[in-house]
Amino acid sequence: MIDGLSRWTVIAITASVAVLWIALGVVFPDSWAGVTLSVAASPGTHTAMLRLAVPIALAAIGGIFAEKSGVINIGIEGLLIVSAFSAVIVTFWLGSGESTFAVSHHWWGLLAGVLVSTLFALLFAVVCIEYKADQIIAGLALWLIALGLAPFVSRIVFDSPNTGNVGTFDNVTIPVLSEIPLLGYLLFDTPPQVYLMFGAVLVGWYVLNWTSFGRWVVASGENPKALDTAGVDVRKVRYAAVILSGVFAGLGGAGFALGQLGTFAGGGETDMQGRGFIAIATYLFANYHPLGALAGSFLFAGLDAFQLRIQNIGYAVPSELIRTIPYVTVILVITFVGKTRLPDAAGENYESGED
Amino acid sequence: MTEPGTEHTDDAGGVETATAGDLAVHLDGITKRFPGVVANDDVDLLVERGSVHALLGENGAGKTTLMNVLYGLYEPNEGRVVVDGTERAFGSPRDAIDAGIGMIHQHFMLVDTMTVAENIALGNEPRKWFGMAVDRERIEREIRDLCDRYGFDVDPTATIADCSVGVQQRVEILKALYRGADVLILDEPTAVLTPQEVEGLYDVLEELTAQGKTIIFITHKLGEATHAADAITVLRDGESVGTVDPNRTTREELAEYMVGREVLLEAETEPNEVGETILSVEDIAVEDARGVEVVSGIDLEVRAGEILGIAGVDGNGQAELIEAITGLRAPERGSVVFDDADVTDWSRRDRIDAGMSYIPEDRHERGLVMSFDLVENGVLGSQRSEEFSESGRIDWQGVRDHSEEIIETYDVRPPDAEADAESLSGGNQQKFIVGREFERDPRLVVATHPTRGVDIGSTEFIHERLLELRRAGIAILLVSSNLDEVRSLSDRLAVIYEGSFMDVTDPDDLTEEGLGLLMAGERPESRAASDSADGMSPTTDADSGGDA
Repeated sequence: MIDGLSRWTVIAITASVAVLWIALGVVFPDSWAGVTLSVAASPGTHTAMLRLAVPIALAAIGGIFAEKSGVINIGIEGLLIVSAFSAVIVTFWLGSGESTFAVSHHWWGLLAGVLVSTLFALLFAVVCIEYKADQIIAGLALWLIALGLAPFVSRIVFDSPNTGNVGTFDNVTIPVLSEIPLLGYLLFDTPPQVYLMFGAVLVGWYVLNWTSFGRWVVASGENPKALDTAGVDVRKVRYAAVILSGVFAGLGGAGFALGQLGTFAGGGETDMQGRGFIAIATYLFANYHPLGALAGSFLFAGLDAFQLRIQNIGYAVPSELIRTIPYVTVILVITFVGKTRLPDAAGENYESGED
Repeated sequence: MTEPGTEHTDDAGGVETATAGDLAVHLDGITKRFPGVVANDDVDLLVERGSVHALLGENGAGKTTLMNVLYGLYEPNEGRVVVDGTERAFGSPRDAIDAGIGMIHQHFMLVDTMTVAENIALGNEPRKWFGMAVDRERIEREIRDLCDRYGFDVDPTATIADCSVGVQQRVEILKALYRGADVLILDEPTAVLTPQEVEGLYDVLEELTAQGKTIIFITHKLGEATHAADAITVLRDGESVGTVDPNRTTREELAEYMVGREVLLEAETEPNEVGETILSVEDIAVEDARGVEVVSGIDLEVRAGEILGIAGVDGNGQAELIEAITGLRAPERGSVVFDDADVTDWSRRDRIDAGMSYIPEDRHERGLVMSFDLVENGVLGSQRSEEFSESGRIDWQGVRDHSEEIIETYDVRPPDAEADAESLSGGNQQKFIVGREFERDPRLVVATHPTRGVDIGSTEFIHERLLELRRAGIAILLVSSNLDEVRSLSDRLAVIYEGSFMDVTDPDDLTEEGLGLLMAGERPESRAASDSADGMSPTTDADSGGDA
């Protein structure tokens, strides 16, 4: 640990830089500070931030469950990719803009995305828990398989790594609440995946901290033997946690694809652009706290939204560099704040009855 | 006194005849086989309700296996488990818990980051709001009730990481009671406790049996079994030697049952001529991994042919002190002089080459590479030495011969140089490490807990070897939490508390109580009076080295 760079010092430095920036921006509206300030303060940036946060926040909640239970799911990016892709392709097959059983095909697509992601998570769980594979290698495999599978299937269906466009969810506007000044348009006039994100984060936080299952997940990651001798099956808890990570990541990937993109580009790093890895950085940054992870995903998604809009108004900002910010932040946080502590048994396979 | 009965007819002395008393547990003809080993061979155990029953035996005698059968962790290949007169087949610990059996493992099964209450209720959480939330108030209330009933002083809201080892043990006991256990199995419960905490534990056991609970405790320490138990069943090599009444037997007899031959219980030390100073440490201060100073200005000196013992409760800086001496951790200040050379800045490798042997505290972490076989483990630390190299490569045949010699001399079982270290029991791993380090032809042996987890027979052997090295003029620095061991072997004994030496003295001048008090940071009245004016201050460094 480095002396003199305590948490409060870091916070104070950050705060003074922010104050300086705002002051400069207000006094000189035409300066670089002024332009960036107006972009950062614009409602469009905020709306974009919320939507871009969806895959990060949901994947982070999923990752928290898996890793807290002792299974490091580094393949969460792969889950985002397969869920996004299958959500789009199922919606496309069913016919976008139509509905079955009075439910819009976008919702059926979302459900399909979540199911496929859960299936992949289950596969990962079987490999790690039943066959005791190295979690990091299995996780990387999960990502690489998704990276290849999505554009491959897309080529068969669309003759291109990119899928056709299926359009996006409509905004769901909640009467009265959406009229609240400042926050109303942001929180109550927004596409459904944003509501899903808030709901899932709250549910995740509640389950982890206040239910017995949540306590078992924590015990399974810290000292699985303690849980085993207390009469709880560690395998079952870990299966449940990893499957949950598939459900959450599936909601994130499918919600992002159907609510924000309307299509899925499978080339290169795909439309997910490493958001699953940013999610891992985010929950580490938040030391596995679901609400902290939500805040962290706002931070990183906000940077992304800011960067996109700055480019739109003609400033050249290196987006590749901006995307390194989450990882740099995590390293800084781990080095200087030192709060992040991995669960004791994270990454270790557990075998009942061994001595 | 109870009349523990046995149905089988063992020829060992002191065996009682069978009684049909009120049995809480009856294990009948338990056999448990593992690939290549019979861990329990037709073992009977009859435990009377409301009694303290000791299960005595050496490491590898099958005590823990037998209890794991009773606790549902293992299923026996043969035999019956009868609890409260009903035959049971436990498929998992959950079944055993439901039948009123609780187990307190040697390594506590606690989650450090959770609270006392959360740990106690783990897996049995009462719920509220239609099962949607854990009812924490109810857990805490129930724990407070239990504490009142059995006279425990435990705060349910404290985090485990902040609790002392003694309190953690009580939490484990509460955990079993909370689940409604009537039979409590304690696996080596005193291994981690100070003498004062051990006394406290005996009081707890007494209180528990007074209220009708039955205690089975596993131990390899004779003194504990005779002191605390109402009946003692001795296991040897997976078989039951018999059940005896502690009032009608002697320690020597019990030791013979355990080992199968006569044993010297106390190492014989005769005065030895000490030579030049081999190791001298001056005003050393060491920080731990968190940057907290845990060794604050210790001086010590070890001479050729002398054993300097360091006693203390684990976590008072002895680990860091030893790491600084052996070159595993850089001290903040102070110097280490070894064989007239200032080695403070020397690397670990240079120190090994200069003749510093080291038996580490944690054999898994530092003593062995668990996935290596014994041939490979035998050369660790000497991999660059002339002896084992052949034109720049390792001479594996030479290494193999060397390892096989260690295995034979130190009676490592199974005697197979190609067995992976992890396949050996803890005691055998330890014997192998001790052998490797002793055969390095050292000038100084730094031995931390050299007999931890080792059975009586091997302990006797390791002690003899230590004394042989001492006679040969080797300097020995011995750290042990086994008080009998440091007291009987050491020529001088230092007591460490919170990073300083409380006292350095002839161990014969110290009673067990006196030693216990020093370890707890208190100076006994008589010694305080004879000390200098500032003798009461625990931070004052006792004069060390000079009084040899």
